[in-house]
Amino acid sequence: MHSGFISKRLLRGREASLGLVLTFPVSAIMLALVLLPLVITVFDSFYRIEPMKPGTPFVGFRNYLTLMTDGNVLQSWVNTFAYVILAVTIETLGGLGAALVLHKARFGRRWLLAIVVLPWCLPPVVNAIIWLWIYNPSYGLLNGILRGVGLISENQVWFNNRFTGLLLASVVHAWRMLPLTAIILLAALQSIPVNLYEAAKIDGASPWQQFTLVTLPLISSGIAIALSQSTVFAFNLFDEAWILNGSALDTRSIMVQVYISAFQNMKFSLGMTLSILAMVASLAVSALYVLRVYKETSFD
Amino acid sequence: MRRLGYLAAVAVLVIWSIGPIYWSLMTSLTPPNALISDHLRLWPEHFTLEHYGKLFGSSSTNQGNEVQSVWPQFSAALFNSVVTSLAATVLTVIAAAFGAWAFVRLRFPARDLTFVLIVATLGVPAYTVMIPLYRMMIAAGLVDTYLGVTLIYVSAFLPLALWLMRSVYQAMPLSLEEAAWLDGASRLYTLVFIVLPLAGPGLVATAILTFLSAWGQFMVPLVFSPTLNTKPLTVLIPEFVTRNYVDYGLMNAAGIVAIVPPVLLVIFLNRFLVQGLMAGASK
Repeated sequence: MHSGFISKRLLRGREASLGLVLTFPVSAIMLALVLLPLVITVFDSFYRIEPMKPGTPFVGFRNYLTLMTDGNVLQSWVNTFAYVILAVTIETLGGLGAALVLHKARFGRRWLLAIVVLPWCLPPVVNAIIWLWIYNPSYGLLNGILRGVGLISENQVWFNNRFTGLLLASVVHAWRMLPLTAIILLAALQSIPVNLYEAAKIDGASPWQQFTLVTLPLISSGIAIALSQSTVFAFNLFDEAWILNGSALDTRSIMVQVYISAFQNMKFSLGMTLSILAMVASLAVSALYVLRVYKETSFD
Repeated sequence: MRRLGYLAAVAVLVIWSIGPIYWSLMTSLTPPNALISDHLRLWPEHFTLEHYGKLFGSSSTNQGNEVQSVWPQFSAALFNSVVTSLAATVLTVIAAAFGAWAFVRLRFPARDLTFVLIVATLGVPAYTVMIPLYRMMIAAGLVDTYLGVTLIYVSAFLPLALWLMRSVYQAMPLSLEEAAWLDGASRLYTLVFIVLPLAGPGLVATAILTFLSAWGQFMVPLVFSPTLNTKPLTVLIPEFVTRNYVDYGLMNAAGIVAIVPPVLLVIFLNRFLVQGLMAGASK
């Protein structure tokens, strides 16, 4: 009995040390390269850290105040919210459509799925370059098609207009991220029991009623996940805006602004402060969706 | 009628998904003078490999003048992309394969807290940690080195990899491992020779997702890979724009080369890819 207890404790100890050893590489990397820098970011946002200036004095909330009154930063916020609204709308509606088509597919579903997922797999930079050529003012496909069907009479310089610039950059982002929404919603659709639709049919529900009364409520948690994912990604939009229109203020996202502040103007602490605000905003918005959808589903 | 509507929806989906890629491929095969014509053609009248020649040739001509080939830069960047992506994939998968198993099967101090903290970093955008990381990397002399870039990739992709591998192990019956323990096998032996082979599909899915993320990275190398020592394709290709004029034929050709590995993965391993995405999505 006594020896049994000891060997059990010994086993526990060996189990614990094996666990610590096996997770050590993971913990060490995450601690050193993510958690530590994250804490430093928060601390440093209260100091002035600029490689071009001597010293790193404590400045309290001055970085935060500077950001709130900077016109470029404010416009970047507006642009980022525009990206979030446009991209999330396109991704959610398009992703739902794609998921419904994929769910219905009988033949070649695997290949259709592969085709739909493809844009998500490509480097965002290459996507942006492909679309940059499509949007080209003189020889681009978009102008060609719109002229061909008579919607415009002469070529447009799309990025000369702030709204079309934001919209077209959102389309490129949505082109890449839509597959993720589609996959999430497809997984949700596949989890709906078929007999619910049979019961609805017997009750005389039209296809539209089946969709709004059976499908939508049952995939609402999937929609919440998809919405919060696409919101976080749209908040962090960088590659597309940078490749399509560089540092232009019309399409400058908040992440582009962070990059410019930190690595072009060499104002490290301003960049860090702005990146904290962006992170808090994106997490808050996505938490909002999740709470909202949970509430709505719990009413049913 | 409904069948027709369905087919139309499939057609829209296919054109939306691969239309832009098709257009880029055709552009890369069109002679330069045909690219700047007013007539829109869905495929070129004459196919040319001229743009690929500029990428891979030893010298090339541009508007009648002999210009230096981009092959030295392009090959270096291609090599850098391959090295950093593969290194990040191998390290991430190994760390996640062993770490996630420990998180699922072993009891050790602060296990759950550690796991939650690591997965929570999925919500931290790269830029929030990038500036202190830049100063740390400069201090450690790791900017513009394979080691530095690879380590940052690993830290960025580990949380998702851990999450995926955890769900793989959770779905495995414990009885298999218990049987091996009863036969006197050690825990580590069981993990390496019994659990990991069974986790094959999950490991492949994790590897694909990690590789694709690393291959497509732009923000991290833009800051941490300033020279061709480690600069990947994603950073090099947009630089073709800033030369005297934008050579769209060349850029599309370079883009097509850069999407070959992801396209091959989608064609040959799409089942694993979709499984991985679904597991990652259903949190």
